[in-house]
Amino acid sequence: MPPDRRTLQVARVEAVGAYTLLVLRNDGGEVGAPGQFFMLQADPEPHGAYLPRALSAAWADAGEIAFLLDVRGDGTAALVGAAQVSVLGPLGHGFELHHGPAILVGGGIGAAILPWLVRDLPGPVTTLLGFREQRHAVCAALIDADATVVLEPTYVTEPLARLLPADATVYACGPDAMLQAVAALCAEHAVPCLLAMEAAMACGFGACYGCAVEIDGEWKRLCIEGPVLEAGRVLAGGHDG
Amino acid sequence: MGSLATRFCGVDLAHPVLNGSGTLDALAAGTLGVSAFVTKTVTLNPRAGNPPQRIAETPQGMVNSIGLANPGLERFCDEHLPRLADLGVPLIVSGGGWSREEYAVAVRRIGAHPAVAALELNVSCPNVDTGCISIGTDPAETRALLERCRAETERPLLAKLSPSVADVSAVALAAAEGGAAGLVLINTVRGMAIDRDTLQPLLGGGGGGLSGPAVKPVALHAIFHCRAVTGLPIVGVGGVACAQDCLEFASAGANVVALGTALFRNPGLVEEVVAELPGLLERHGVSTLDDVVGRAHHHQGKALLEVDANHS
Ligand SMILES: Cc1cc2nc3c(=O)[nH]c(=O)nc-3n(C[C@H](O)[C@H](O)[C@H](O)COP(=O)(O)O)c2cc1C
Ligand code: FES
Repeated sequence: MPPDRRTLQVARVEAVGAYTLLVLRNDGGEVGAPGQFFMLQADPEPHGAYLPRALSAAWADAGEIAFLLDVRGDGTAALVGAAQVSVLGPLGHGFELHHGPAILVGGGIGAAILPWLVRDLPGPVTTLLGFREQRHAVCAALIDADATVVLEPTYVTEPLARLLPADATVYACGPDAMLQAVAALCAEHAVPCLLAMEAAMACGFGACYGCAVEIDGEWKRLCIEGPVLEAGRVLAGGHDG
Repeated sequence: MGSLATRFCGVDLAHPVLNGSGTLDALAAGTLGVSAFVTKTVTLNPRAGNPPQRIAETPQGMVNSIGLANPGLERFCDEHLPRLADLGVPLIVSGGGWSREEYAVAVRRIGAHPAVAALELNVSCPNVDTGCISIGTDPAETRALLERCRAETERPLLAKLSPSVADVSAVALAAAEGGAAGLVLINTVRGMAIDRDTLQPLLGGGGGGLSGPAVKPVALHAIFHCRAVTGLPIVGVGGVACAQDCLEFASAGANVVALGTALFRNPGLVEEVVAELPGLLERHGVSTLDDVVGRAHHHQGKALLEVDANHS
């Protein structure tokens, strides 16, 4: 059963370089775990965007839920312009927080979900971030003051390759090509790796089959199986059959 | 205040709001309050579906190219049906196929299960090149398919039709002659989306099916005409998004309605519509949705049909 949809007030909206931070006042409602996601829609519903947007929180607690957005279309523009937002979630499976050292890898707007992990992971955290341009990298300050930040044409897999092998768990979120490269590196060094993936979603609760991703060698619904998956389940070419 | 309880093709329903096939997975999300659960279309063989991207948002709706992803008849009957039987609402199973024989095999097997109240024959999926959609564009094929399946089960057969044909009422009439007990109108409208940056087709399947409020006028038109031509009971689907839409669909000729795309943005919508309906009916001076069914036909209906014929 999907949770009830609730309407939350917008507490504040801030520009963070090229991205926008949207902070909702939580009413004490459930927030789930880092990596789970919410379906968000401006209230009243915007004319130009019919479907809600699937977003994972940057951080969340009983008092507020924050999202870092790349405002690109009518739906996201309506969200950052709204006084209140209808919220369905938390949905899907989030990160399992392993004890011991963690390496966080974020690419582009995928870095949006890392602040919560930095806050909640119990062990020491090393953060590696890759962005297209400096204006996208401004958000690194929200994530981890000590983060290693690279800009294109350097890819975030370069600093990662230098850290591996390591006695750590890798948590990654970013574009598909980056996730595949991170997964391949981790597989090579037998380092456990969790990926937060993205797919176009219409519903977020298993109804539309729109979010299919190749998981365990079959098209499966990312909103049900993920969005956080063990890297071996999605590695192109298969991992352990 | 009147009752929302109704009867559709012999199936007792607590209220007139169902889900559209392929727009709710009750095993993942529960029934969300629908009075009968309609399954995603099941085909003889399992189908992985189309490659991503499978959905794209469009003005007041979306296009999808899911491609009839389903576990296939065998696994559906062994693993899904027993669990669906426990949902506590009547079950309507949607079947599709690539030949009359494939449909017949599915109808025989599914119709034999005691939990199945009715079957819906999908002859209208836009996301496969051959098979169901080509049957549903041809009245003679549609009649033959219904006749063939009629022989396989005692359960009511509903024909789900596509509006993307020359004359949907001709297909509806053929379905009626072949033994359909009711119609489900409409499936998605053929459509397409182009990526605004790459200017390439956005959907993995190339084209897809348009749904949501954008298709509501198309649905009303199909329902109005098919009702006039066949008199069959109709499940109205296509852009229904509120209680007011239910009344409009009923007036065009739908006996019950189904919510599809609107559920994606609000899974609580069935309960909201069911809660709102009695008050809305009362404001229209009636006590049940049945009192509204076909109202658009009563006064000007015949004249409208003639005007419409002149335009097409
Ligand atoms: C994602 C999606 C999947 C669908 N899958 C099926 C299907 O398997 N079988 C079918 O008969 N109709 C299918 N439909 C069509 C719907 O049941 C419905 O007829 C159509 O979407 C119009 O209603 P709506 O505008 O309320 O969504 C699907 C629609 C959508 C949006
Ligand atoms: S987003 Fe609809 S099934 Fe996953």
